[in-house]
Amino acid sequence: MTGLVGRGVARVDGRAKVTGAARYAADNEVTGVLHGHLVLSTVARGEITEIDTSAALAQPGVVAVYTHRDMPRLTLPSFPFLKGFLPLQDARIHHNGQPVAYVVAETLEQAQEAANHVRVRYRAERPTAHLADALGEAFLPRPFRDRPNEFTRGDAAAALKAAEVRIEQDYTSPTMHHNPIEPHTSTAVWNGNSLTLYESAQGIIFTRGVVAKAFEGFGVRLEDVRIISPYLGGGFGAKGPTWPHTLINAAAARAIGRPVKVVLTRAQMFTMNGHRAEYRRSLRIGATRQGVLTAIVDTSTGQLTRTEESIFNTSDSTLNLYACPNVHVRQMGIRLDLPSSSYMRSPETTAHFGLETAMDELAHELGIDPVELRIRNLPATGNTGNHLQECYRMAAKAFGWARRDPRPRSMRDGNEYVGWGVATETHTYSVFPSSAGLTVGVDGRATLRAATQEIGTGTYTVITQVVADGLGMPIEHVTTLLGDTTYPPASLSAASATMASVIGPASHAAQSARDAVIALAVADPRSPLHGVPAQDVVAERGYLFPRGDRGRRDTYHGVMSRHGRPVEVTGSKQNTGGRSHGAVFVEVRFDPRLAALRVSRVVAAYDPGRVLNHRTAHGQVIGGVTWGIGFALMEHTVVDRNTARVVNPNLSTYLVPVCADTPSVESFFVDRPAEDSTALGARGFGETPGTGVPAAISNAIFHATGRRLRDVPFTQDKLL
Amino acid sequence: MRNFGYTVARTPEDAVRIAAGTRNSTFVSGGTDLLNLMRDGAQAHDHLVDINRLDLAGIAVDRQALRIGALARMRHVAEHPLVRRESPVLSEALLASASPQVRNMAAIGGNLLQRTRCGYFRDAGSACNKRVPGSGCPAITGYNRGHAILGGSDHCIATHPSDLAVALTALDATVHLLGPDGARAVPIADFYLLPGSTPEREVALRPGELITRVDVPRTSLAAQSRYLKLRDRATFEFAVVSVAAALQMTGRTVRDARLAFGGIGTRPWRDTRAEAVLRGRPLTETTIAEAGRVLVRDAKPHNDNRFKVELVQRALARVLSELGGVR
Ligand SMILES: Cc1cc2nc3c(=O)[nH]c(=O)nc-3n(C[C@H](O)[C@H](O)[C@H](O)COP(=O)(O)OP(=O)(O)OC[C@H]3O[C@@H](n4cnc5c(N)ncnc54)[C@H](O)[C@@H]3O)c2cc1C
Repeated sequence: MTGLVGRGVARVDGRAKVTGAARYAADNEVTGVLHGHLVLSTVARGEITEIDTSAALAQPGVVAVYTHRDMPRLTLPSFPFLKGFLPLQDARIHHNGQPVAYVVAETLEQAQEAANHVRVRYRAERPTAHLADALGEAFLPRPFRDRPNEFTRGDAAAALKAAEVRIEQDYTSPTMHHNPIEPHTSTAVWNGNSLTLYESAQGIIFTRGVVAKAFEGFGVRLEDVRIISPYLGGGFGAKGPTWPHTLINAAAARAIGRPVKVVLTRAQMFTMNGHRAEYRRSLRIGATRQGVLTAIVDTSTGQLTRTEESIFNTSDSTLNLYACPNVHVRQMGIRLDLPSSSYMRSPETTAHFGLETAMDELAHELGIDPVELRIRNLPATGNTGNHLQECYRMAAKAFGWARRDPRPRSMRDGNEYVGWGVATETHTYSVFPSSAGLTVGVDGRATLRAATQEIGTGTYTVITQVVADGLGMPIEHVTTLLGDTTYPPASLSAASATMASVIGPASHAAQSARDAVIALAVADPRSPLHGVPAQDVVAERGYLFPRGDRGRRDTYHGVMSRHGRPVEVTGSKQNTGGRSHGAVFVEVRFDPRLAALRVSRVVAAYDPGRVLNHRTAHGQVIGGVTWGIGFALMEHTVVDRNTARVVNPNLSTYLVPVCADTPSVESFFVDRPAEDSTALGARGFGETPGTGVPAAISNAIFHATGRRLRDVPFTQDKLL
Repeated sequence: MRNFGYTVARTPEDAVRIAAGTRNSTFVSGGTDLLNLMRDGAQAHDHLVDINRLDLAGIAVDRQALRIGALARMRHVAEHPLVRRESPVLSEALLASASPQVRNMAAIGGNLLQRTRCGYFRDAGSACNKRVPGSGCPAITGYNRGHAILGGSDHCIATHPSDLAVALTALDATVHLLGPDGARAVPIADFYLLPGSTPEREVALRPGELITRVDVPRTSLAAQSRYLKLRDRATFEFAVVSVAAALQMTGRTVRDARLAFGGIGTRPWRDTRAEAVLRGRPLTETTIAEAGRVLVRDAKPHNDNRFKVELVQRALARVLSELGGVR
């Protein structure tokens, strides 16, 4: 260890990205590639009665047009393919914006133009598009990925009835879309039965499995499929699952016998790759007058489809965050005629927004400071305990929370009311089996390979840092290669799992390689280290020397060039998932005459275990908080109630925060290694920042205005 | 997006001749709206006449008017010292529009002719009377938060999106046109049409007519003007409600006032009755409130935009009290 870990090392891939040298999936120019364009349905429910592709086929450059009638038949894969059906296999329409034809042409423009000439007739049925229109149809879905949708601890109903104080409120949130800046793309290149996909994928190992399954009827095996995804322009969960366009495109490429590329348009990204489901939540909280929670009944109702019943927005924080003896959680669903929802940035935010707003309502009701109320209810044991308390202390101090007058509308600055709100930040993190291959070359430089991927969060950088540190090599001598399934299998870049999964194997590989090189050195008569006991040799900045004797040194380069062959090792290490926490404090300013609101300050502190890179960790906080502001104030996919069609499928009407909406964000870290993590003490952290922001904003709005908002987004009309 | 032909015009006469003589053609300046519409399939043309080379980008002033060429870019007009001094509302409206990148590209003529942001209009998969006459208006029974509370019909309730047009409407600008039959000038109040039963007709342009410039009368009123825009995020977003106001005071009394509004009308919304409420009377909270009530007297709000009735009155009150120094 040479102190590289933790340091705010700048992005190792930064230069490649800002100079355009980084090749994103759609940047690959494959010779002879054709271009595909999807034709999507304009009704939400019903059946295709007639489809005429003759005019499209007659357009210049068109090579093929596939419909459900002539599309090769694929096998329906299971998770992480999230849809319960494969489009273009039958005439049934399950949602608006479902593929009904796939046009392949020599150029993208030709494919798009020909798509206009595909004529489709439907027998349309009236869809149901909003939860409000089907509330009577809520049901408890089957367990999803072995997780039941109902949990009970103690007797919540009785405890609620007996509670000294009760908060009983409903909270809602609309459909939202991931909207990474890079559109989804896939280029399929077949060579006999082997398939290479240049893919925008957050989990190439996942994608490989889905693709192999879909084509198993053609005799394609897992090892025949290679997925390449070295860079992503964001994913936010949208690119974790594999979506139909990848399979349709690969099937077309196979049938035509030429490579085909597909890039979804922004509008298509509103029906082709999942979304955060619309939700309604009813929360009933019971507590003592001293603010000790005695009961929580959390019933959520989320949008499902008619073809699957998967719940992605789980109520984990209700169950796990506070030490409440009586809890009843039910995760209900209603089937609507919409596309499948999916995981979207920090899925637990949906539930947590309600819980943390209700906690503030309870604090107000009891006249207890909201920070104090939370601390009173933290469990005595487990990783929730002390460090979250420390987060609260750190952030409260930096924010100046002690100066808060708790009465609503009590703090003013000129014509504006100032509101201060707080909430716990918390999210589950997962761990996926991971490994890493490390080669030290004859030039004394190291290359790490792992089949995880960089989604923009700094994966290349942190892995490089950890490997350089473990080897005792300058960071410039280490290259990290990601995003290729020919590398050792590694984690999905989602579910906050990457660091927690990959850092253990990477650092294990670095240590093994270092030990192997040291072993070569001490055995080599030409090395100054010849005969030194291996355990006494240390590595630092590329030099190898006996502890305390820097004069007698060899180098990686020296040892390896004499050895003449690379050293190759594989690292692996198990880890376990968990939760990571923090506390976020938000200041809003409210102009009462115009009902205009802005977020003016955010201060947060976190316990992600050991911080591996302070700069990327802070970057993650900025990103999470910004999305949290978006969730609270503007994000909202409008689905037309009558047609179940998205009305705002573009970035000029699906609003996300711009810089002017986002104040500077101050972040602090407890930065103590988590004993239960093998990732050098780091916990999964990616999805924690931002989870508490919507509630903190709601709570700050209450403080500023005396008005409690429970339905995001909090647009101006709700503040009038 | 459909294939289309493309010609670069050298003179305004040239442009008009080509446009008038080519089926289903249209002009293109910055292309910041037109190309999006064509890509989304909301609009289709067989031919584009590029007018960016025309010598119409100047900004000049004489005794009567500020004369803004149709190809002056939004950015240049916004930053022009004369515009800022003589008609601050124009500069403010432009600076509150779009983003710096869009303002660098987009020209004044194109700005005035940009199409509504109604999601149904811009989605080729939805019905829309403006895009496909007679197909219906899903906004009236569907999502209409961004839509008009004034000037709507049973056929269309889409708002006109241009901030600049609102400011020009307050200042009594004149739009100068060149067509196959020669040049003519149209007061801006007559330039934008109400949807009625023909929402596909938005402006009083005849086929092949080119906007050559916009004249803004030089008045001391214009020099006392402001633009207030309320929106769902801090920048880079269209108005939920906006107000362009010009005010001339004698002591505490309003000598003259001009009021125009964005986000609430199917066209840039001028209300002379609200102006009349103020004229000759002291500017107080009471008179301001009365002007606001007159403005929304005939408002016909829909499910999602009821709040605009209240919000526009508050916005008006804010602008007038700031301009007139009330409190
Ligand atoms: C993301 C985004 C946000 C935006 N936000 C705002 C906003 O907040 N406020 C706002 O006001 N605007 C906003 N806009 C719209 C923007 O102002 C317009 O797109 C722009 O002004 C159009 O100008 P242009 O030169 O690019 O026009 P073009 O797109 O080239 O043309 C638009 C139309 O005008 C016609 N045309 C152009 N010039 C002439 C002429 N001289 N004579 C006759 N016809 C002509 C064209 O044929 C076409 O029909 C936004 C646009 C975008 C993309």
